[in-house]
Amino acid sequence: MSDNQEVSTTGHQWDDEEGYPLQEYNNPLPKWWLYSFYATIIWAVIYWILYPAWPIGNGFTKGVLGWSMHKELREEMDEANAKKKVVNEQLASMPLQEIAKKNDLLQYAISGGKAIFGDNCAPCHGQGGIGSKAGGFPNLTDDDWLYGGNLETIEATITQGRTGQMPAHLKAAGGAFDEAQVNDLTQYVLSFSGRSQDAAASKRGDALFHGEAGCNGCHGDQGNGSLKGTMAGQALPPVGAPNLTDAIWLHGADPVSIRESIAKGRMGVMPAWGKGSKEVGRQLDPLAIKQVTLYVHSLGGGR
Amino acid sequence: MQHATIEKSIPLMAIITLVLVSIGGLVEIVPLFFIKGTIEKVEGMRPYTPLELKGRDIYIREGCYNCHSQMIRPFRDEAERYGHYSLAAESMYDHPFQWGSKRTGPDLARIGGKYSNQWHQAHMLRPQNVVPESVMPAYPWLAKNALDYADIDKRLRALSKVGVPYTEEQIGNAKQDLMAQAMTGGDPAGLTKRYGNKVPKDDFDGHPDKITELDALVAYLQMLGTLVDFSGYQAQTR
Repeated sequence: MSDNQEVSTTGHQWDDEEGYPLQEYNNPLPKWWLYSFYATIIWAVIYWILYPAWPIGNGFTKGVLGWSMHKELREEMDEANAKKKVVNEQLASMPLQEIAKKNDLLQYAISGGKAIFGDNCAPCHGQGGIGSKAGGFPNLTDDDWLYGGNLETIEATITQGRTGQMPAHLKAAGGAFDEAQVNDLTQYVLSFSGRSQDAAASKRGDALFHGEAGCNGCHGDQGNGSLKGTMAGQALPPVGAPNLTDAIWLHGADPVSIRESIAKGRMGVMPAWGKGSKEVGRQLDPLAIKQVTLYVHSLGGGR
Repeated sequence: MQHATIEKSIPLMAIITLVLVSIGGLVEIVPLFFIKGTIEKVEGMRPYTPLELKGRDIYIREGCYNCHSQMIRPFRDEAERYGHYSLAAESMYDHPFQWGSKRTGPDLARIGGKYSNQWHQAHMLRPQNVVPESVMPAYPWLAKNALDYADIDKRLRALSKVGVPYTEEQIGNAKQDLMAQAMTGGDPAGLTKRYGNKVPKDDFDGHPDKITELDALVAYLQMLGTLVDFSGYQAQTR
């Protein structure tokens, strides 16, 4: 290697041994690499001048371009909102019933509602609103409604949220009835769909249902729910008590699930999505709720 | 100056090395002295309640951060999906913060209140029950394991040492407050007094009689991103 005269050394020689002086080569970096490196240094200086860069005290250098991520976001949002402005204003000012009559507006609202639904509602109600048995989340595509399936009621449900009010009946769970009485009630509730296996128990359950347990106060004398049912000819309060006579069961149709509902109660929660619902982290504005309402109404069960 | 001169004089080399390290140190360290000023002040931030803090520990123990970030970036697609971008103040009591950048699952910075407790219970038991297309693993043991909170006051104390403003009263009542938030006794009025009336007291895990790890985790998830009230928030000019 010492024959190679083209390679320079750092100039220092550690020993004097003839023939093999111990020296350090000074190999230059490849030119393309070196100039690229210088270019990045120059670019860094340009960047400091143009863009926000250096922290100083409680602030930072702003850069001559005045660029900021938050400003860019604002501009992007404003631009998108400006594009939607005309249609959105129409949607916001028109009542739901009117929008439902105008096909182009309705289609716009439904496709917007679908996107909002996919992010916010689908985790419980499933993609396309098919519901989920696992947590007792209602199917929105059928025409079996707890609080009502017209546009106004759906909008109110989304805005204010709903909380189930089925109390626990078993003494061990905080209710007022013993195991046998809960079993009797279960048999009676099964009899609505012709599935009771014990006529005597069902008869005792009947008496409890319309008497001591007061189930008819919410589910109605005929057990057909707070929407359709009546008690002594009077309409029922809109508490969302389900119809027990159809084949649709929110928390399972089998006797064990029904007994569980009666024994421990069901307090399903639909969160409130309207602005001003402080307990909710992610709120939807009234326009978004309108769009979701029209989407849900369009799923098949809307009245 | 010749390289050889520096190499042969230890004092000179020491001085020059010191100067170099000092410049590097100043550039990296000095901004930290002003960090308090760079966190913009917002209304509503408070330290975690003891139950939420335990939930946060479980969040870290189970490695949730491997798939979930807690940082909404200032882009339109994120703003439309997750809400207002995250503020520095929102993670100022986090040690360590959970910002992350890996999103196999969705961002959780504003998950609080988005779904009901029942949903979280069903979801943790088996995510596919409620989201069939989910790839998230199941965490069924959370609902079975009793929450171990014997050392909760020490955890608050440790955090107060690194700057979280827990008061002596909050540390002393940590166990009581934890039980109160899970609705299994304690002193609910005291919890409200110490952490504000926005703290939800609930049976987070669906088992009213016991405090499980699921109680803590759901309590934590339900408060994420809910503290700052953005209706009164004016974005800084930047």
